[in-house]
Amino acid sequence: MWDKLKDILLQVQKPARYVGGEYNLPDMDKPCKERVLLCFSDKYEVGMSNIGTRILYHMLNDMQDVVCERCYAPDLDMAGLLRKNNLPLFSIETKRDAKSFDLIGFSVQFELQFTNIVYMLDLMGVPYFASERGEEYPPIVAGGPCVVNPMPFAPFFDAVLIGEGEKNLKELTLLHYECKSQGLSKQEFLRRASSLDGVYVPSLHNSTKRAVVANLDEAYYPTKILVPNCDIVHDRSSIELFRGCANGCRFCQAGFYYRPIRERSVDTLVKQACELMDNTGYDELGLLSLSTGDYSGLKDLVDKIKVEADKRKVKVALPSLRLDSFEAEIYEEIQGASLTFAPEAGTQRLRDVINKNINEEDILSSLTTAMKYGVKNVKLYFIMGLPTETQEDLQGIVDIVHLIKRLHAQFGTSKLLNITVSTSIFIPKPLTPFQWERQISMQEMLDKQAFMREKLRMKNVKYSWHGAESSIIEAIFARGDKSLAKAIVKAYELGCVFDSWSENFDYGKWIQAFELSGVEYKKFLDGFDEDEELPWDIIDNGVTKSYLLKERHKAYEGVCTSNCLKKCNGCGANRLERCRI
Amino acid sequence: MIILKHYKVDDVSYVSHKDILRVLQRGLKRAGVDVKYSQGYVPHMLTYTSTPVPLGVQSVAEYFAVECNHIDKDEMLARYNLSMPKGMRAVASFYRDKNPNLAAIVSASDYEAASADVLPKEIEGITNCQSYVISTSKKGETVQKDIAPLIFALRVEGNRLFMRLASGNSNLRADSVVNHLNKNFGVNIKINDICRTAQLVGVKDKFVDVEELLK
Repeated sequence: MWDKLKDILLQVQKPARYVGGEYNLPDMDKPCKERVLLCFSDKYEVGMSNIGTRILYHMLNDMQDVVCERCYAPDLDMAGLLRKNNLPLFSIETKRDAKSFDLIGFSVQFELQFTNIVYMLDLMGVPYFASERGEEYPPIVAGGPCVVNPMPFAPFFDAVLIGEGEKNLKELTLLHYECKSQGLSKQEFLRRASSLDGVYVPSLHNSTKRAVVANLDEAYYPTKILVPNCDIVHDRSSIELFRGCANGCRFCQAGFYYRPIRERSVDTLVKQACELMDNTGYDELGLLSLSTGDYSGLKDLVDKIKVEADKRKVKVALPSLRLDSFEAEIYEEIQGASLTFAPEAGTQRLRDVINKNINEEDILSSLTTAMKYGVKNVKLYFIMGLPTETQEDLQGIVDIVHLIKRLHAQFGTSKLLNITVSTSIFIPKPLTPFQWERQISMQEMLDKQAFMREKLRMKNVKYSWHGAESSIIEAIFARGDKSLAKAIVKAYELGCVFDSWSENFDYGKWIQAFELSGVEYKKFLDGFDEDEELPWDIIDNGVTKSYLLKERHKAYEGVCTSNCLKKCNGCGANRLERCRI
Repeated sequence: MIILKHYKVDDVSYVSHKDILRVLQRGLKRAGVDVKYSQGYVPHMLTYTSTPVPLGVQSVAEYFAVECNHIDKDEMLARYNLSMPKGMRAVASFYRDKNPNLAAIVSASDYEAASADVLPKEIEGITNCQSYVISTSKKGETVQKDIAPLIFALRVEGNRLFMRLASGNSNLRADSVVNHLNKNFGVNIKINDICRTAQLVGVKDKFVDVEELLK
């Protein structure tokens, strides 16, 4: 295999993506009874940036008798050459045929990667649908953030892991090894797996509860991580401060999905940060969480980490700072080149509807502080097409830009201030209070974008927007059911692959695929009735449906729900594990 | 300044030179070497390399120079070898007060390549030509290049090929030559089976191995 690969590696772009050999590579030759392949349905540079799969990769390799290898979606040039030379998809580490592994796991990150699953199964040379794969094929399972509603892609997999892989992937791997050594069939293995927490077996359509780790402080976190040899998207080491989010913005899936809130202690984080810096040689360290500003020991943590990072000439990056948690003293310590705000909606009324607990004063006071420190760029993020949105709300976005410009003018500095406004389109996602909503039509999207383009034609203001067409496809799959699987296959056959890369996205082909496969897709855009059964109801993700419904009604009344840090709102996620709140 | 002679073999031979620079710098950080930084607005590590090998070609004679404080050259070699990905191993280290600027002074490189089959002796005939034009690809375009003045030696022994080619400012890529041989002499040498074995500096009228020069 390796010999044949040598011939084609120099004909593809960035061959380093396919050879591995990264620093900190675990021992691939250790005695092993279970060989697992972790597949990522996007390119190497995206997959290697994903912290979740990195955790699972090292976790499996640290298990006795288990070796885990990786496989990323090869770029189109590589795929073409593999097909031409009759070579199967292979693992990066030992260049083994992918289908020769004992267990194959896919990480599914988001809706526009679904065709890549089929693409990779095709390159592996295995049937797309689990029901067509007999005992001669290893179990192929899926996990990742997209499993909130796994139904559209569930038919491709023997099992779908719901929740945190530190728990259910480990249990599943052990179970598979046990079943294999007892000579049990794949069917029997899946039957047993279905009783584990957070394992959904599509052929059994069993109800299951999301798996979560109880104590994040004691949970596995690798500090001897792979350091890639070539450039990747997020090329830095990261520590994960906490899981879950206390804010409860009503459009945000992650905010509800990752509950209950569990934190790592400052001491653990500082220790992990030091080990990571020493083991990787990265010159940037990221602090990860959904809302870093809400971490209870942020000031203490940043102080301690700054000392260690300075010693090693490492830069600390603080992403995802919410507006209201923006603290001047932190900004003073970590001077960023630009300042990012995500008010999400243009008026206070709409911000109340979506429960974004930020008001105009917050924005202005944060900006005033930031301008004192000479901020040059301000980035603003908004969502268009939110429930109850009117023209006034769009005008509100323009007003905020005017307000910032006036503030800057009053400040009397000669330095230019660049403002970047980005709008995305609201996609109703499962497990949010807006999971019943309709998505706005293509025409409405285009009209709103045209309005913004017109109004934001100002000096030093840049406007960018997210594609309407891809938002529609994303919305269909976010709330779709199992009937969509055949449309995914059809779209792949028509040439759709790497849909999340705008240069490859082809809306026309997608619509054609829906029509050819006879799938009624429009109903997933129209929204659901409150008493209707939803495709993902069979999975207990923690937060209860009744809570989401209550939140939906509050949204329409324009009533905010306070941050969980103030008081527990009773979302139900603490039924899974204890919430910090 | 410490100069390391190192290997670039196996998997890392598929890593581009630009990426290798980053790999080297991260390795130095892991090794805990106190590297000197430039004094500019965006400080960067003071490291220097010699002419890179083409992508896919292996090498047992790469050089890498580092400006650093308080470290013994042998200690540096030991730490380097603990901190680099597989396929990058240092085999010698040298101390110099001044940067020898290897990128500028190296003028030739020796390569060895192996084929599964015995290679025809006619290949050696290329060295007798006054002018020998081959087509090579440069940035996706095919260009004609007279390589006769850039080949200093070409020898075949059984299934092995030895080449001494111009390197540095006037450069001849080993993969271009091998691609030409594969196409025109009916041989099958894989690019990854080419290995740079030495870098040479022209001193008076003969070539001296860089390693000898640094000793």
